[in-house]
Amino acid sequence: MILKETAHAVLREAQKSGADYAELFLEDNESTRIEMIDGKVESANYARISGAGVRILLGTQSAYAYCADIDEQSLLETARAAAAALGEAKFAPNGEIQLTLTRFTTPVKQRFDTIGNAERVEVMRTGARVMKSASSEVTQALVRYLDQVQRVTIVNTDGVFVTDERPRTRIFLQAVAMNGTEAQTGFEGPGCCRGFETYRDIIDVEAHAIVAANMAVTMLHAPECPAGNLPVVIDGGFGGVIFHEACGHSLEATAVGRNNSVFCGKLNTRIAADCVSAVDDGTLPGEWGSINVDDEGGTPQRNLLIENGILKGYLIDKLGSRRMNMPSTGSSRRQGYMFAPTSRMTNTFICAGADDDEEMIFGMAEGLYAKKMGGGSVNPPTGEFNFSVAEGYWVKNGKIVSPVRGATLIGKGSEVLLKIDRVGRNMWMSPGMCGSLSGSVPTNVGQPRIRVSGMTIGGKGGAIE
Amino acid sequence: MTYQEFASRAMEYAEKTGCASSELYYANGESFEVNANAGEIDRYSVSREAGVSVRVSLNGREGYAYTERIDEPEKLVDHAADNARCIESDDEHPMQTRQTYQAVTRADSALKHMTESERIALAKRLEEVCLAMDPRVKRVVYCTAGFDSGAVVMENSLGLHAERSTNSSYLYVMPSVEDGAELQTGFAFRMGADAADAEGCAKEAVEDALGKLGASPVDSGCYRVLLKPYAVSDLLSAFSPMFSADEAQKGCSLLAGKEGEAIASCLITVWDDPFDPVAPRAFDGEGTPCVKKAVIENGVLKTLLHNLKTAKKAGVQSTGNASRKSAASAVSVAPTVFRLEAGKHGYADLLQALGSGLVITELEGLHAGVDAVSGDFSLKAAGFLVENGALVRPVSNITVAGNFVSLMKDVIALGSDLRFGMPQGGYFGSPSILVSGLKVAGN
Repeated sequence: MILKETAHAVLREAQKSGADYAELFLEDNESTRIEMIDGKVESANYARISGAGVRILLGTQSAYAYCADIDEQSLLETARAAAAALGEAKFAPNGEIQLTLTRFTTPVKQRFDTIGNAERVEVMRTGARVMKSASSEVTQALVRYLDQVQRVTIVNTDGVFVTDERPRTRIFLQAVAMNGTEAQTGFEGPGCCRGFETYRDIIDVEAHAIVAANMAVTMLHAPECPAGNLPVVIDGGFGGVIFHEACGHSLEATAVGRNNSVFCGKLNTRIAADCVSAVDDGTLPGEWGSINVDDEGGTPQRNLLIENGILKGYLIDKLGSRRMNMPSTGSSRRQGYMFAPTSRMTNTFICAGADDDEEMIFGMAEGLYAKKMGGGSVNPPTGEFNFSVAEGYWVKNGKIVSPVRGATLIGKGSEVLLKIDRVGRNMWMSPGMCGSLSGSVPTNVGQPRIRVSGMTIGGKGGAIE
Repeated sequence: MTYQEFASRAMEYAEKTGCASSELYYANGESFEVNANAGEIDRYSVSREAGVSVRVSLNGREGYAYTERIDEPEKLVDHAADNARCIESDDEHPMQTRQTYQAVTRADSALKHMTESERIALAKRLEEVCLAMDPRVKRVVYCTAGFDSGAVVMENSLGLHAERSTNSSYLYVMPSVEDGAELQTGFAFRMGADAADAEGCAKEAVEDALGKLGASPVDSGCYRVLLKPYAVSDLLSAFSPMFSADEAQKGCSLLAGKEGEAIASCLITVWDDPFDPVAPRAFDGEGTPCVKKAVIENGVLKTLLHNLKTAKKAGVQSTGNASRKSAASAVSVAPTVFRLEAGKHGYADLLQALGSGLVITELEGLHAGVDAVSGDFSLKAAGFLVENGALVRPVSNITVAGNFVSLMKDVIALGSDLRFGMPQGGYFGSPSILVSGLKVAGN
């Protein structure tokens, strides 16, 4: 725990070249990663990431310096390194900054430092066993386990002085199905912002393992997906990655504040179909993307992004707020001390709608049902996105006729949002890691099942009869 | 505590607690990066970092632990020993003994001797040149100059001692251009000795962006395709796990057991060349001396890539491809500098040979749209439509789909234009390649 006096001295040192704002971020992050192949533990690694970052702002200019050493001398040097970016001082703020400590914690029933590797391995073994026994075609089961506790202290010249403890755990289950020359994979990766009790109370490892195994086997027998421009039904949960890529990144101040987003200047105008409402909510208890306090010490909130197709808000951090002249939304995040924070998503989802899940498929002449999405990416200035379909089915005359593999969906965020013509009633979320300027942060994506009236489907298959 | 004290206390304690051997991997570094926007310093970052990983061998099993706090070496060794105790795999993972290494010098990169203000001026100039190049250039999305330097020290209880220092410089820019309601972005980078070339970098990026104006999809179908160097090097990078003996031994590579077989067109030769000036190194992530070798020679798979563990299991010698992504990561297998050998054809020749089809200049979504196990890919792409050897118009919002192994068999011609892609954890280079057919989705 850093002394208030030290923090104060570091902040004032950082402002010596005239910065109007300074911020100190300290991190101590302990993690355990274990990998199991075919039921045998293959590797185990412990890591303690520890260091500090100092950021200064002057208007919309920013500078960041970080260092792995956290003694007072190093912190002051780091502050000077950040201050050097602004060159000679004209005016440096001084006087006392009122700092009152607030401590945040995440409620945890079983702390990770009370758990031995044997208990972690037991959870993993269940996953491996269930995948392997699900089908004789599953030739390999891979399980990766992660738990970590990130302890942070954030102090700034606005008087923020907070500590937070952020436990997270995730299990990644991957099944490989093979027959001679071909191989296909299926996966699940549930995770929570909770303690080890997650595996007793929240995550049913067996159920996820079965889903992963079935997916690998189904895809092994799937023909290649045909290419074309057709309607696409995208399932709930990780299907929300479409919204994350097609829209979410383009609503971040990182893009909007620099005029690099298709959604600049579109507040209170229509950017999506009537049936679409969407939210980013960092306050949901225990969710993978949730935060107690953001990485500038701000308060996370439920941010309404789109209401009935009308753009209602952006995701804004402190620097973005200065650029955009709008209040910050508790959306500042970073991977750790090696990154200056910026506007990011937390738990982002399309809200439940009024449509029937089954009707979306019955009512489709020909198209793709994307049951499970893989990853994707977007170029925010143009809004062009791409993502892969990990488990897809071809639909003809309202019926699923075959699983299909190797599909990719591409398009422009601004166009796809307007083409959503169905939104189902049951919303759920799935965890992922989102990479951007401030590193890789845990986020949830989510949505109910939705339908898009037309999208470019990439694939190398012929027509499916 | 000095690092030396930390290291000797860690190794002594490991021995005392019954570890047969122990190894330390220490990395430190400094970095500088600046991003210019509208003539101002928009982002600026400087850092000093250090971390140490200890690896122990206990009862034939190995465990790792990493820390960025150079204190309490005993506690770190306890974590590593604890991790070793939970390992169940019977694979032996030997540590390297003392070796002698070839002297390798890595040339100073362009930003090394610049002052901070010169580096800032470089980023600002890059933006200025972009903006001045064409009235349709409205802004830069990002415009970044950076310099990293660092050192790695490896030592173990078997006598290994290996040290290297590195430095790298980079410059990259994404200008955005507007023509009426249409917006396109372009990209270019420079690295190493070329990293101060703001003019060349700006020109390439702006031309890339302008070249895309008016782009639209093509009809879905099968096309002859000329893949430009960055597109091919991105594919090589994404599918490089196929060449790892580790993936092969786990049953996750289609190339398992194919050594000595023709797996690609006879035009294809792929080098793993640790001494390539782009990023030369004398030893790998386990301290094994690096060697240059053909991985594919005239279409024939000559070897998979090995570290000490996979080599022991396969009964062969390590190929010097042990990799540590960072000091915090365990030893894995990865290429060093991986490149497809260039051919003789110029771009005009290749367009003639293409006749009618597509030039693909860039691929997107490589972290998602490729399956390194099956070799399948389906990726968003951009480029140009070509008819009778002449560029007709830019193409965007299409996908190309295929299989990496089939693609390597379908290569008809190779360009002379070898280029390395932007390094993202590895160095992958390729010339343009002409392939007989890829499935394209568009209209």
